[in-house]
Amino acid sequence: MRNPLIKRVPRELKSDWHKYLVIIVFMVLMIGVISGMYVGHDSMLAAVYEGREVLNLEDGSFELNKKASSELLEDIETGKKADVRAYYIEKGYKEADEKVAEAIEEELEKKVKAAIEDGVRAQCSAFGITDEDLIGEQIDKAIKEKFDEAVKEAKDSDEYKESVKDAYKEAHDKVIEAVDEEWDKVSEKYELDEDTEPVRVKIYENFFHDEPEDNNNDGKEDATVRIYRSDLAIDMASFNEGRAPENDHEIAVDRMHADNVGITIGDRITIGSKEYEIVGLLSYVNYLTLHQSNTDLMFDAFGFDVAMVTPEAFEKLSSRLHYNYAFLYEDEPVTKVEKADFSSAFLKSLITQTLVHDNEIEDYLPEYLRQASNFAVTDIEGDSTGASILCYILIGVIAFIFAVTISNTIDKEASVIGTLRASGYSKRELIVHYMSMPLVVTVIGAVVGNVLGYTAFKDLAVSLYYNSYSLPTCHAVWSNTAIVKTTVIPLILMFFINLFVIVKKLQLSPLRFLRHDLAKKRKAKAMRLPKWAFLKRFRLRILFQNMPNYLILIFGVILIELMLCFAFGLPDSLNYYAKNAPDMMFSEYQYMLMGIEDSDGNTIETSEESAEKFYVTNLLYPKKRSTFREGMGSGGDESVTVYGIIDGSDYVDLAEHGAYVSGAFSKKFGLHEGDEITLNAEYENKSYEIAIKGTVDYDGGIAVFMDEETFRETFEVKEDDFSGFFSHKKITDIDDQDIATVITAEDITKVTNQLMHSMGKFMDVFKYALIVLAAALIYLLAKIIIERNEHSISMVKILGFKNSEIGSLYIIPTAFVVVAFAIIGFFAGLYLMNWVFKAFMLQMDGYFAFYMKPGSMVLAVIYLLVGYAFVSLIDFIRIKKIPLDVALKNVE
Amino acid sequence: MNSDFLEIKDLKKSFGTGEARQDVLRGMNFTVKKGEFCVLLGPSGSGKSTLLNIIGGIDTPDEGYVSINGDKLEEMNESQLTMYRRKHLGYVFQMYNLIPNLNVKENIEVGAYLSDKPLNVDEVIETLGLQDHKYKYPSQLSGGQQQRVSIGRAVVKNPDILMCDEPTGALDYKTSKEILALIEDCNKKFGSTVIMVTHNEAIKYMADHVIKLRDGIVRHNDINDKKISAAELEW
Repeated sequence: MRNPLIKRVPRELKSDWHKYLVIIVFMVLMIGVISGMYVGHDSMLAAVYEGREVLNLEDGSFELNKKASSELLEDIETGKKADVRAYYIEKGYKEADEKVAEAIEEELEKKVKAAIEDGVRAQCSAFGITDEDLIGEQIDKAIKEKFDEAVKEAKDSDEYKESVKDAYKEAHDKVIEAVDEEWDKVSEKYELDEDTEPVRVKIYENFFHDEPEDNNNDGKEDATVRIYRSDLAIDMASFNEGRAPENDHEIAVDRMHADNVGITIGDRITIGSKEYEIVGLLSYVNYLTLHQSNTDLMFDAFGFDVAMVTPEAFEKLSSRLHYNYAFLYEDEPVTKVEKADFSSAFLKSLITQTLVHDNEIEDYLPEYLRQASNFAVTDIEGDSTGASILCYILIGVIAFIFAVTISNTIDKEASVIGTLRASGYSKRELIVHYMSMPLVVTVIGAVVGNVLGYTAFKDLAVSLYYNSYSLPTCHAVWSNTAIVKTTVIPLILMFFINLFVIVKKLQLSPLRFLRHDLAKKRKAKAMRLPKWAFLKRFRLRILFQNMPNYLILIFGVILIELMLCFAFGLPDSLNYYAKNAPDMMFSEYQYMLMGIEDSDGNTIETSEESAEKFYVTNLLYPKKRSTFREGMGSGGDESVTVYGIIDGSDYVDLAEHGAYVSGAFSKKFGLHEGDEITLNAEYENKSYEIAIKGTVDYDGGIAVFMDEETFRETFEVKEDDFSGFFSHKKITDIDDQDIATVITAEDITKVTNQLMHSMGKFMDVFKYALIVLAAALIYLLAKIIIERNEHSISMVKILGFKNSEIGSLYIIPTAFVVVAFAIIGFFAGLYLMNWVFKAFMLQMDGYFAFYMKPGSMVLAVIYLLVGYAFVSLIDFIRIKKIPLDVALKNVE
Repeated sequence: MNSDFLEIKDLKKSFGTGEARQDVLRGMNFTVKKGEFCVLLGPSGSGKSTLLNIIGGIDTPDEGYVSINGDKLEEMNESQLTMYRRKHLGYVFQMYNLIPNLNVKENIEVGAYLSDKPLNVDEVIETLGLQDHKYKYPSQLSGGQQQRVSIGRAVVKNPDILMCDEPTGALDYKTSKEILALIEDCNKKFGSTVIMVTHNEAIKYMADHVIKLRDGIVRHNDINDKKISAAELEW
């Protein structure tokens, strides 16, 4: 026979549908939103990763000054280095031989002519001829007649042969000397002497034109558009909407750019001087963010666009053709170190082969360093932090709700439990029975939540990514993270919390259940109250009597405030960081140079008085990998900027020689003076042990500051090999091409603005979801208090109290508790939020502290109070609805 | 009704400590035969409910023992006690303690589920005169009807002992007599030993065995040779 108690579950759901609906809505929202975030996140990444394969993302690319010959491309594809030294020597010899031959000819001519002239003068002197004109005529005549024969004779002479040999030898020696000198420099710079395994590649033409784009046809340039042919076999595009161009007048443009500037399929835009019709909105696999140049700190989806035209239309474009070539390695490197090794080996081959084939490299970029294809991915990989924080907070809230609900149910059903136990039902059977309801509710919440997560909320999450990046179309993929975090963990948590509460509650004897004697401690005596008015004392008694319920309410208020702190504080923190980031910069400008020498080989200097040289390197600080999302970006290593600061610096004041960590670094990882940290090189197998001397008051980034000497010693850097300049003012006398990046206050704000832009919409979703959830929680808590007092309320009704009096008896104490603990709860919630935020910052790159505006703090309290005001209205209706017979029927 | 089925020996129980200590059972001795209708009679505070709870295995004595069919309850651990209640006992309380969201039939099934040898649920319902109400919820029934369901839930298990704690305490005269008649019927029809706690003196006339308690001890232990039927009772 099936246990008939099981029939209670659906009836319980039906009879108390308000409560369970609120709980289910709570769970659906929580699971739906978080699952949607994770599914959207994982689906987007899956689409991006798939795109890399399907759309043939390059392993790197290079641009040449002129079109590469087929021989050059073939040689580069071998991956072998060309013998540049031999090439230089051969070239030098050729030049030298020409010069020597010329010099010899000149010298021989001079000498032969002098010899002929000497001979003629001697003859003339013998004949007594002194007339210089006559002598001159004789010399010219003699040279004409005898020159060739004399030259021949001279050339046949051993003396001539010897000196020619010497001359060539001397010239060749000089060539070798010059080549060696130059070779030493070049080979040192590019490490060409090192023996490396040839890295074979396949090269693809990936030419483009950068054209002016006029997207509203008003004759003014609105953006620069990089145009590719539609028939490329590498770095292809996927279409979010529309199709590829099919004739000369059609174009497909980047979807994100189109969204930003307000153009769409069917619109006409002018490229150069020709109008095109937009037939497709696309996403190029190598332009997920529209970085025009890899040195741009931030992408610009307004001012830069990528587009596709037919090969015929491409041929007709008038601007300079960029001879860009993309390549794929024959053997795919896997790790970062391998990628770096491959790239460096390939670059050697490229440099040498280009040189020996008389071409010139304009640009070289391995894919792993390419911002346009990696920025969005890294960002997406790392930005599930908000969802994670929310997830854990909400799981805690849900567990709390169930613990309270189940405990309340058991209290309410004490007699039934007592009777069942007395009748012979075992504890296990009752545990299973009381466990079934929360588990059924959780499963319903999880199923509906996940269905919404995989559909509506996923689309929402994905649309937020589309607002930020030029991403391909994606389809929902199964997300283990979503299922684990939103379903498996809540179910396990629900199971164990309920098991714990139920087992603990059912420890009591059947008799105590039958007697409703469920309190652990019995009150020895009733507390004496001052001689106040009766209703006041009655109210106070209710307050004391409901103390355990109010403790639950207070805990609930803390959780609500925690949620509201998250809802208001996360955007506040980002805004605050964005606003204060410029003030955090210790230098208005940080000029990072491409190298220390300009194109003429001179050391780069500036006349800007405030400029100060610095050294810099980027290393990784290994994080403790405590999350199961490790390896998904958020669990990766922390990027640390290590600065070398000159003595007496105007920008960073280091008390002593040694290494100092930035405030942000110290706070994030709890580092203190005397600690030792290990920093690893990202693309090499090198580690550095660094002892911390102290902290520098800089919260703008995760950084280490060292005095110049320590820096150079630690990283084996030569004195002249500095990295750039700090400056208070803009430096105008350094050529743009020598500057890798300039970091200004504006750039820092750009980064945070972008963070706000990409996370902002998530935060709005979180905010509204949390406000709904906070309202649901206060509703449930208030309902529980009224439910627990149903008997007493029914009894006082029988006694003749009016509903308004009963309302004031039961609602005022609750209101008092809510108001009193709203503020205390807020500070407790804020404290918890700070703690939670700090813990989760560890999963993100960079650091900023949790911050709430005073206005938001007030709002967090007001929202609770306003929410409670509505709930107390509902409470009043509930009180009115409690029937008189509740007390009559069940009194024992 | 020949051998001693239930034995109560030197049973003592007190509540509280020090000055607040209250001796509820002060050395109680009696036996009950199988199939007997036994009434425990006494005023409030005489210890009858405590005694019933100890016999029912939901309370424990401080001293002495209860033995059922030779098995001493204090030698049983918690799960053995649960099995004892499950297999041998049926409980009827003054408050019916029905499960509000199960209907009449299902409330009775709650008892049937526990038994290895349950009675037919529909037959029990018919015996209880609840056939017209079997799909009603407890809140739709009168007190008497609810108590019938509660008796049904206990007897459907076909228990060896039917424990009744003031089963008519909350009922009017007429309904009380109906309920008593039902318990009498069950005793006769199913052969269950009935132990009923009551302070209603009139009920003793329908019992085989009347034990009067006062101040925690047995004052009278009488076998009633002239028992009458529940219908004949008057009070």
